[in-house]
Amino acid sequence: MTQPGERLDRGRVITFTFDGKPVEAYAGDTIGSALFAAGRRTFSRSFKYHRPRGLMCVSGSCPNCICSVNGASGARACTEPAREGIDVRHVNALPSLEHDAMRATDLVGGPFTPPGFYYKTFIRPRRMWPLYEKVLRHAAGLGKLPATQPEREWRTEYRRRHADVLVVGGGLAGLHAALAAAGAGADTVLVDEGPAPGGQQLVTGGSRELVGAVRAAGVEILERGSALGYFDGLVPVWQSDTLHQVRAAQHVFATGTIEQPLVFAGNDLPGVMLASGARRLAALYAVSPGRRAVLATTSDRGLQAAVALRDAGTEIVAVADLRPETSALGRSLRAAGVPVFAGRTIVEASGGSVVGRATIAALGGGAELSFHCDLVLVSGGALPATSLALQAGAQTVYDRASGQFELSELPAGVHAAGELARARCDEAIAASGELAGLRAVAALGRDDRGRDDGRHDDGGRNDGRHEAARDVVRARIDELEARSPEAPGELALAPAVSGAGRGKCFACLCEDVTAKDVSQSIDEGYDSIELSKRYTTVTMGPCQGRMCQLPAVRLMAAETGLSLGSVGTTTARPPWVSVPMGILGGRPTQPARRSAIHDRHRELGAVVRWAGDWRRPYHYGDPQAEALAVHEAAGLIDVSTLGKLIVRGPDAGDFLDRMYPNRFSNLRPGRIRYGVISSDAGRIVDDGTICRLDDETFYVTTTSGGAGAVEEWFSWWLAGWGHRVRLTDVTQGMAAVNLAGPRARVIMSEVCDLDCSAPAFAYLDGRQGRVAGVPCLILRIGFVGEVGYEIHVPAAHGVHVWDALMAAGERHGLRPFGLEPQRILRLQKLHILVGQDTDSESTPFAAAMPWIVKLDKEQDFIGKWALRHYAQRTPATSLVGFTTADGDVPTEGAVIVDETGTPAGQVTSSRHSPVLRRTIGMAWVPTALAQDGVAITISDEGRRLQAEIQTRPFFDPDGEVLRS
Amino acid sequence: MSLDFLAVHAGPDAIARSPMEGLARAAGARFEVRDGWNVAVAFPSTAVASVAVASVAVASVPQAPGTPAPPVGWADTSHERTLELQAPADELDAVEHLRLGEAVRAGDAWWCRLTRTRALILGGVMPVAGALDVTSTYASLTLLGPMARETIARFCALDLRPRMAPVGALRPGSVARQPGIVIREAEDRYRLLFGWATGEYVWSVVADAAEHLGGRPVGIDQL
Ligand code: FES
Repeated sequence: MTQPGERLDRGRVITFTFDGKPVEAYAGDTIGSALFAAGRRTFSRSFKYHRPRGLMCVSGSCPNCICSVNGASGARACTEPAREGIDVRHVNALPSLEHDAMRATDLVGGPFTPPGFYYKTFIRPRRMWPLYEKVLRHAAGLGKLPATQPEREWRTEYRRRHADVLVVGGGLAGLHAALAAAGAGADTVLVDEGPAPGGQQLVTGGSRELVGAVRAAGVEILERGSALGYFDGLVPVWQSDTLHQVRAAQHVFATGTIEQPLVFAGNDLPGVMLASGARRLAALYAVSPGRRAVLATTSDRGLQAAVALRDAGTEIVAVADLRPETSALGRSLRAAGVPVFAGRTIVEASGGSVVGRATIAALGGGAELSFHCDLVLVSGGALPATSLALQAGAQTVYDRASGQFELSELPAGVHAAGELARARCDEAIAASGELAGLRAVAALGRDDRGRDDGRHDDGGRNDGRHEAARDVVRARIDELEARSPEAPGELALAPAVSGAGRGKCFACLCEDVTAKDVSQSIDEGYDSIELSKRYTTVTMGPCQGRMCQLPAVRLMAAETGLSLGSVGTTTARPPWVSVPMGILGGRPTQPARRSAIHDRHRELGAVVRWAGDWRRPYHYGDPQAEALAVHEAAGLIDVSTLGKLIVRGPDAGDFLDRMYPNRFSNLRPGRIRYGVISSDAGRIVDDGTICRLDDETFYVTTTSGGAGAVEEWFSWWLAGWGHRVRLTDVTQGMAAVNLAGPRARVIMSEVCDLDCSAPAFAYLDGRQGRVAGVPCLILRIGFVGEVGYEIHVPAAHGVHVWDALMAAGERHGLRPFGLEPQRILRLQKLHILVGQDTDSESTPFAAAMPWIVKLDKEQDFIGKWALRHYAQRTPATSLVGFTTADGDVPTEGAVIVDETGTPAGQVTSSRHSPVLRRTIGMAWVPTALAQDGVAITISDEGRRLQAEIQTRPFFDPDGEVLRS
Repeated sequence: MSLDFLAVHAGPDAIARSPMEGLARAAGARFEVRDGWNVAVAFPSTAVASVAVASVAVASVPQAPGTPAPPVGWADTSHERTLELQAPADELDAVEHLRLGEAVRAGDAWWCRLTRTRALILGGVMPVAGALDVTSTYASLTLLGPMARETIARFCALDLRPRMAPVGALRPGSVARQPGIVIREAEDRYRLLFGWATGEYVWSVVADAAEHLGGRPVGIDQL
């Protein structure tokens, strides 16, 4: 029979498989509705006891129908649309849902599986824990990840969406809120997690027109989307494969209430359903949830579902209405021949794999009535879905009249609507939605589509019209606020548990926590709701407290004698719904910087590695040979990663004098000086070269990793000092290569228009000239110890200059070299690498660079006070070079030990030098040992290496090669 | 000594290249040297540029006349000159085309005041007194088409809704998790500026997002 809210397209049949067997469905079905229609009642096995579980909420709010779809675990069958060809599989049962070997844990495991059992039962003997852990992990779980990474991957998207108003919840209240907000000109997004917007109206099909009007008003509706949390105004919304990051100025929460289960013996049997869940199954998917039903309810909510199901063909065998007197609706059911028992509730559901009998009784005991049935409908009250509002900073109080934790205070920018705002009847819910929407608009300060106060000036042409529109909004708000509050409907408070002693009464279906478990946790001292949560894990499963929060609070109150209000609720934390990690991960892209010449390195077969943010050629196949080539002919290395700053202005020299411990104001234009940047505490933080281009302009280089920090450091001090200096970071704008080696000058002469002879272009000269026709800045510096030219050129010309140099150098034996050979070469010169050979404690004095600190500088400079202090003291350790006796290369980080074996220092760098044919390194050693020829011992992963200290560079100690 | 060496001196003997040239080539771009720059002038209408398929040879043919424009196209516009102007705030206040937070079109250039003391001038060939040529500090992609804004929303959290970012809006911020600038040049046309060294990375992010929405690379002749 076609149902009024039916979502099926009966003309389109689709087929998917469940555990490999074909299942037919109509377009519009969910996996769950199709399987139920096909006769399936067991949809999953429970987390701990492997009990069979069937559809319960039919809204994605419980754990009972979790399955895997195309290998991805965590799908809810009751909300996941059936699609042609999908492969659906059960989870957490072996070998099958019907026959699960792990069910033994339910039958015999009770005494062994109390709360916290893994801390109690499986602790002895201790050596067995790895095995226990394996077994437990295998037994518990909500599915398995596919074995290989490609099977685990699917495309997920991030999408940022700004909005004026975000409405969460697409029921009557949310739709009216969105309509009001959009109608008043706000850019509005509505998110709804149901199968379609409409909320409780969906079952009657009564919301279609309203949804149409909302769409027509320009509201973007994120259907089947779940708001995961509230993060300072950012609400991530998971919709299929997309994570929308919605940042709205105003938020309306119209998340409604969640019908609550009852805690009684056998309350988890397949066939025990929330009344609203059974109604959804019948109304949306035309599936009869059962032939004979018993209803246990505490309010009219359950009765309404029973009436609808009866109309749809389900026989209502009996109704247990916990209220002392049933309502008018109950009486009308009674008049229609349905036995309605007031003052009673369900105490037990029993049966085999599905429910077959329900027993009802009065709470205080007395005569029991038992009914054959294949469906038990429960309606244990309503839990306002306050989680998102609470995450946003709202407060709740317990309201005795409604028996609910109601919102009391809302933070600025957050509005509640519908049942969350205590509206109950449709008219009140709609009005409350409209009010929330208008309040959101009023808070925006916007009153008209496309306008926002003050941000877009139209010269006052429309002020009158906007003011009038604002007045209309205000008047409507006043009108809606003047409505008298609704009286709460008659209801009975659900008992904490009924039928205890007849079998397991589950408070938490996700984690298989029983009423007895909660009671035991209290006995053990976990007597607050937060402690109990952590100990029993109640509310920590996939339902995120939707089904178990209130039952747990009721149990806690009953056991402790506290009121529900005093027990309170657990802290609301995101995510509000369980979400795949992949959705949170976004696209697998990793930011990387690459030199302008990177493609050439690839073509040359470079081994590329990360160096800070950069991808750099580490070597081109043979680092030792590349290092040797620099000594024997020439090498070319891409040093584009160096930080590069233009510092210019009348005060540039003075500024640099303050930033560095040495002087730059007296540097002649066209000359270069090495500089170390120290912190306020006198510690080395970066180094580089500074070339004075003219009286007011300096070209400053920094380490590759330090470029950003140095630029920030300079800017920060500039902002305070007020120097007439401008900074421009050209790190990415300038490619740089270093041509070094005995043949470097010859090669340069062939491609450069400058006189490159030693007298004309001396060591530490900086010149502008053309290389291969391109204007460049050429610095004669020698990090690697040979005659060298560091050529800086706009990145767009990087490839051109590299190619020209490589071509010119071909007949001179030029070869490219990477980072690793560069490290060998600089180590031969004892040139430090900041961060490698220094740490946050290293001062220029300890790093053997006392000459760089000019304490006689007239003006203050960063770190001057601290450096003066250090200058008067002998450092505890000093940085020196060393060679090992037997050629072994110690690990970087190996420990220098004294004669007693006590750690006394550390190796920072070590390599085999192909030109020196021995092992060289740098290390921090006690200053007393920092003398040429002193023997030291290196302890390195069980080895003891003997080494000898050398304080002068290993290669070209007097710099004659460099200056030649 | 001048700062002449900072400027790109593109010419027949010194071809200038974008950091995204390799990926454009892999996507089938047809290149021409224009004003000394090797620029991707056109792509085949079937071009796809994701890293995964970049190595697949695509015929280097221009888009056939009449081929419908993609919902979003992206073009490498890194060759356009970029100048940086730094001066005290009152001096920049006096410059006609500089307004904070806005890109003002003057002649064939966009005048973009990023901060009170710093501005960029994009495009154009006229000399600007006191400006530094930082063309190869910023790489640039221009996105156009009805899905351009939606594409950008996949990797950038800036609020580019038309009301918040009207034509001429200048928005510095994070672009694909890198420092960047977005300029709304026209109704459905946005320019992204980002560090030259991140060019290959940003292209791959843009391609990944745009292709998913039915987009493809376009040459500067298709802009
Ligand atoms: S029945 Fe599917 S989540 Fe509850």
